[in-house]
Amino acid sequence: MKYQESHLSAHHNYLVNGMLAQGFSVGDSGSRNGFFLLADIVPFSETAPRISARLMDEEARLLVELEANRIRENPGKGSIEHSLDGYRIVNFSGEVLMEVRTRAFANGYLTLLRARLFDEHGHLKVEPCDESICVYGGNYLSRGSNPKSEVIQGRLRQGKNFLHRFRGRLPVRDVSCLR
Amino acid sequence: MDTSSLAHGIWVFGDYRNYFQNRVTLQLIAKGRELAETLGTSVTAVLLGKEVHQFAMEYIAHGADVVMVAEHSALERYQVELYTSLIARWAEAFQPDILLGGATSFGREFFPRLAKRLKTGLSADCMNLSVDPDTGLLIQTTPAFGGNLLAEVITPRRRPQMATVHPGVFKELPHNVNATGRVVYPEIEVNAEERVRVLRSRRQQVRESNLEDAQVVIVGGWGLGSGEEFKTLFELAELLEGEVGATRPVVLAGWVDEGRLLGQTGKTVKPRLLISIATSGALQYTTAINGAETIIAINRDSHAPIFKMADLGLVGESSAVLPLLLETLRKRMSGARRR
Amino acid sequence: MNIVVCIKQVPDEPAIRIDFERMTLIREGVESTINPLDRVALEAGLDLRGRAGGQVTVLTMGPPQSVESLREALAAGADRAVLLTDPAFAGSDTLATSHVLAMAISRLNPFPDLLLCGMQTTDSDTGHVGPQIAEELNLPQVCGVNEINVEGDSLVVERLSDGFLDIVRVTLPALISVNRELCPVRSLPLGALEMAFSRGDIDRWGREELGLSEEEVGFEGSATRVQRLLEPEPQRKGELVSGSPHLLVTRLTRMLETLGMLDEEDGY
Repeated sequence: MKYQESHLSAHHNYLVNGMLAQGFSVGDSGSRNGFFLLADIVPFSETAPRISARLMDEEARLLVELEANRIRENPGKGSIEHSLDGYRIVNFSGEVLMEVRTRAFANGYLTLLRARLFDEHGHLKVEPCDESICVYGGNYLSRGSNPKSEVIQGRLRQGKNFLHRFRGRLPVRDVSCLR
Repeated sequence: MDTSSLAHGIWVFGDYRNYFQNRVTLQLIAKGRELAETLGTSVTAVLLGKEVHQFAMEYIAHGADVVMVAEHSALERYQVELYTSLIARWAEAFQPDILLGGATSFGREFFPRLAKRLKTGLSADCMNLSVDPDTGLLIQTTPAFGGNLLAEVITPRRRPQMATVHPGVFKELPHNVNATGRVVYPEIEVNAEERVRVLRSRRQQVRESNLEDAQVVIVGGWGLGSGEEFKTLFELAELLEGEVGATRPVVLAGWVDEGRLLGQTGKTVKPRLLISIATSGALQYTTAINGAETIIAINRDSHAPIFKMADLGLVGESSAVLPLLLETLRKRMSGARRR
Repeated sequence: MNIVVCIKQVPDEPAIRIDFERMTLIREGVESTINPLDRVALEAGLDLRGRAGGQVTVLTMGPPQSVESLREALAAGADRAVLLTDPAFAGSDTLATSHVLAMAISRLNPFPDLLLCGMQTTDSDTGHVGPQIAEELNLPQVCGVNEINVEGDSLVVERLSDGFLDIVRVTLPALISVNRELCPVRSLPLGALEMAFSRGDIDRWGREELGLSEEEVGFEGSATRVQRLLEPEPQRKGELVSGSPHLLVTRLTRMLETLGMLDEEDGY
């Protein structure tokens, strides 16, 4: 019997490829210019999703670079529009590049995304799927609950130099590939 | 602990309807954890429905290692045949050792069908589950002989070993926000054939009963002999400012409405005083009154199991004792406070 | 409409007596009766026959004395009765019991449009046999029904399940298990029981008539078995008092006084 599998957290998950996932990444977040989308694990002290991404157009030109939900570089002159349950990254021309919405349950959170993203070779990597997105190629992130990950937790919580900290090394315990 | 394999584990059916009142799945996950520890395996919660993400997260938070999910619009409503087909196929593929479910109305009509499909054994309304240290078999403790005895049941050869358990028998583990686990989405095949179709479904207004809050509860059993005799309990209850409850044979016979039923399938009470009259003491009933501070039992049979639950046991005919008791109390209470 | 009602003979509750030394039920002198909810199912079947025409057949699996409950059913108005009895059936769990019943039902000609049974029994109380018969015969099932209406080749029924009142349509043939609320049970007409006892037409089928092997029935055909019987632990060690009603009432009122429940002052 075939099955697909992911890593789930009691606190916060993203909906990707029709599955719940604590975190996932597509592309290479460590590269200097390449496309990537990182939906990072959210520690239990926080409730907002942590999205970092390099959004590009079909000609591999950088539009917006996002780090932990904030615009870091903005050659495309995009902007963030906040809403009650999340935010949208909007292009100069008003086109929505990415939408992030978080649903709150009694004891946990679920983040849905909406975007159509291409990598630097013009290949489709992310597209809308049911309520959220499907991604092509990528990894699911997981965090076990052992003392080592608590330390990583501590780093995640600090947040500010977040992108530097994980460049070259993703904060993961296990990585399993999409089946 | 081998958690990497999905096979031979302990499965718990995710009965998430009425989630915040119905905690039975969480209670079974907790028990499953205990059993898993002894058997060196893992606990998987099985979840079928539409938009069940919240429950997958809750089950992980409350101790499941794995949640196995089918998300499909056709699964939105509970359905016996469709759920049976899906879970049977998964069970044949993943070979769980044990499969537990709550004895909710749905569980009671779904689990037997699933057990029959899998040609395996099923114990109903278990009051305890444990692992036999010598054989590794699941010991399913159920009421027997109308609830007068306990039977330890085993399923020696067939798999999975299946059991249903009433809500409230086991205790859930606290919600752990730090918990993580695996979520598995097996392939599913949904046939459109609907032989049973729910046309309308309405939340039934639960008639407020003061039974669960009452400080004094008077319970009548089958031994009273008739609905007429049973009615005399209402006066007794009024004199003591209490409420009237009944055991299941009384309700089945129609002497009183189901709202007064005390027991596994009825209400649980914790009064200061409970007087149990002409009840034999079936386990399905006594589990629901165990929380009473003081229990007085009246029964004509000195061997009746109810006396094992009583702080004061009176061996006598209720038909003789009741009238005299009422007369005595009327005299004592006359002139005293009235409602 | 051809209706089959599955009934079970159960001990009459107040007469349950247990031999605690041998851990068995004392059957001598114990009255038996049709399981109350099966009686309701029978009444519903007779009522449907009245509305839609057809035949009501009653089936039971049990020891030879179960024939009494079949006679009671005939007296109530059933057209045909079949007793499934065989020493080989003893020790059957619900898996084996439902197999025997399902095989018997498939031998009936014509195959029924509707199977009715009570939701649960007063003795073993599992409620498993109905759904397991439905599974074996590949029939849809609706359990806990308290109202039945016929609509063409379907039934529209009402049932209460986990706090939801559902209106459900089910295609026939089907199995329905019933709740107490479904039907008031009428008393037997005078002389009906006597007449039923003089009828000779109850079929008796055993293992061989049903074409079942020894491994499919009884102990062998069961998936579960009872390893041990236990008396429940005494939960409280109260005093046991025997005596005249007067003495008992005195002890009771003394306890009520101790608990402060017979305070004659006007309350707070």
